[in-house]
Amino acid sequence: MSQLIWNGLFVGSFYALVALGYSMVYGIIKLLNFAHGDLYMLGAFSGFAMLGAMGGLVKSSSLVALFVVLILTMVATGLSGVVIERVAYRPLRGAPRLSLLITAVGASFALEYGTRIVAGPNPKVYQVRLDGTALHVLGALITWQQLALMAVSIVLMVALNLLITRTRQGRAMRAIALDPKACLLMGIDVDKVISRTFFIGSALAGAAGVMAGGYYGKIDFLMGFIIGLKAFTAAVIGGIGNIPGTMLGGLLLGLLESFGTHFVGGQWRDVFAFGFLILFLTVRPTGLLGERVTERV
Amino acid sequence: MMRKAALGVALAATALTASACGQGVLGGDSKKDKGPILLGMDIPLSGSSADIGPYMKNGAQMAIDEINAKGGVIGRKLQLRAEDDACDPKTAVAAANKLVAANVAVSVGGYCSGATLPTLPVFDRRKIPMIIPAANSTELVDQKLKHVFFVNGTGDQQAVAAMTWMTKSGAKRVALLHDNTSYSKDIAVRTAAELDKPGGPDKATLDAVNPGESDYSANVANLLRSKPDFVYWTGYYQEGGLILRQLRQAGYKGKFMVADGSVDAKLVKIAGGTAAEGAYATMTQTPDTIQGAENWIAGYKQKFGADPGPYSTQSYDAVRVAAEAIRKAGSTDGDKLVTALEGINGLQLFSGPLKFTDRHTLTSGGFVILVVKNGKFVLQDALK
Repeated sequence: MSQLIWNGLFVGSFYALVALGYSMVYGIIKLLNFAHGDLYMLGAFSGFAMLGAMGGLVKSSSLVALFVVLILTMVATGLSGVVIERVAYRPLRGAPRLSLLITAVGASFALEYGTRIVAGPNPKVYQVRLDGTALHVLGALITWQQLALMAVSIVLMVALNLLITRTRQGRAMRAIALDPKACLLMGIDVDKVISRTFFIGSALAGAAGVMAGGYYGKIDFLMGFIIGLKAFTAAVIGGIGNIPGTMLGGLLLGLLESFGTHFVGGQWRDVFAFGFLILFLTVRPTGLLGERVTERV
Repeated sequence: MMRKAALGVALAATALTASACGQGVLGGDSKKDKGPILLGMDIPLSGSSADIGPYMKNGAQMAIDEINAKGGVIGRKLQLRAEDDACDPKTAVAAANKLVAANVAVSVGGYCSGATLPTLPVFDRRKIPMIIPAANSTELVDQKLKHVFFVNGTGDQQAVAAMTWMTKSGAKRVALLHDNTSYSKDIAVRTAAELDKPGGPDKATLDAVNPGESDYSANVANLLRSKPDFVYWTGYYQEGGLILRQLRQAGYKGKFMVADGSVDAKLVKIAGGTAAEGAYATMTQTPDTIQGAENWIAGYKQKFGADPGPYSTQSYDAVRVAAEAIRKAGSTDGDKLVTALEGINGLQLFSGPLKFTDRHTLTSGGFVILVVKNGKFVLQDALK
């Protein structure tokens, strides 16, 4: 039982980290950024490239190397997110929502197959693998590496929440989510704030990508697709646009999958998890914490 | 249905006109009979199995170059035409239609069973023989199509090989895991049927995962609940490596075996460290396990600058079988080719001398058991 919960929470923290970017972007410009899952993939690949470039250094102090790469990758994917927004979304901001959505799908394919051209279709294996001995905690097998990754995700999520609720920057984001036109009139540089939102969201996805690369080991150019869908689901469960709700949604989806596998078997897992989602949304269409409209970003 | 029929008539009419024109210009011996004979190949060059396509294409190209160097067959050269099926049924049908439109004489492609299945009627209806080098779900064989042949062992043969090895290695409780694709499920379900027979090891569980994900810890936990001492994964290597790694992380100490779709050096790398050491595989012959294939491997390396991968030998053989059939039939007519293919007896392939069964499969699957030793798949037991 405790193993089931731990497995669910661990996967859920990845979902949550990726889901935050979805949620932030949706909150601020009402766009479902379908390219977001691919930024996770891009993060994994840029981390792979950086580790490759560091070469022998990696062998001697792999954890430090991974941490440095994590930070650099966050910057790199963050900037990619900004570029995508500038090139693909900003010119269409006045256009109907549907055009924007299609552009997002296009951006997603461009990233996937662009990566395929650069890195090749074969899956890559990370140079640094987080192997570790397992601890027995309350009957569950937990590794130090899992704990470390969980800690990193929690730190990132808490930092994000503080940024949004406690800083001027966060206030500007919240204000734009409420009324972009009024913000423009009040002298807020809306474009700049939106760029920053993309930067933060994409950086989080990139961080998740590097962590997944280091922990699971295998990366390929289509790896962002499924996690993108799952993260989107997590965001909707939690209440898209709401930050704490999104985190909760990610963890809940992880738990649903873990318990679904246990009770109904592997092949029914997604049927279980997504069936629950449909049921849940008919009862509560705004998601877990979706009603607090005033606080969404 | 009506529209399809009408389209068919229109196409047939166009084809007639085209060949009539050809005859008009060149007289008697039409141009179509002088140019190269096209061999079509539906293979994954993009998508989840994109890395297998080039191996198959290279293997086929190697056979074609060898045959052309000796003057081709029935006085004509062979030419390969590969189309990307992306391991996706819809793309595969479109690709098959392209090959049919290009007038290929024989199809020598087919890797993902799920994507190959809908292409069978496309070729069969045009009486274009298919010699399928890799796709081997029994579902394909069960279509019982006249023009479809298999030069790879099939799912039921693989299940029997797996069962033989499980018994031989002393397994007690076997857990089966597949990825719900036609190929993978076929082997798992057939192995389950073997396990359910009295005697030998028992079936601990039969479960499935969703391919394309990274975290299989929930599946692994579920699998371990059934207390297996032998796990057989019948999907592809990308998930196989992850599952093996996560099984070991979850404390599983028993034996692990994969089916032929997982036999790739990357499986060992993805599993990481020494996690894959001692893992078994049911596999048809690969270049490195075939004795006396050193020259072939050297030739392949020289030509393509890379090591031959899985299914390069089968694709090479598929082309040779096609060439042999054309030579015997003396033409590229579909029905004559089928008769010639059925009549082939003793053509030496990597898997042994060829004689198709009445189901158009190999007489014996030629499956062997490999084991991972020092990070490489090597022969463990030839099951002879």
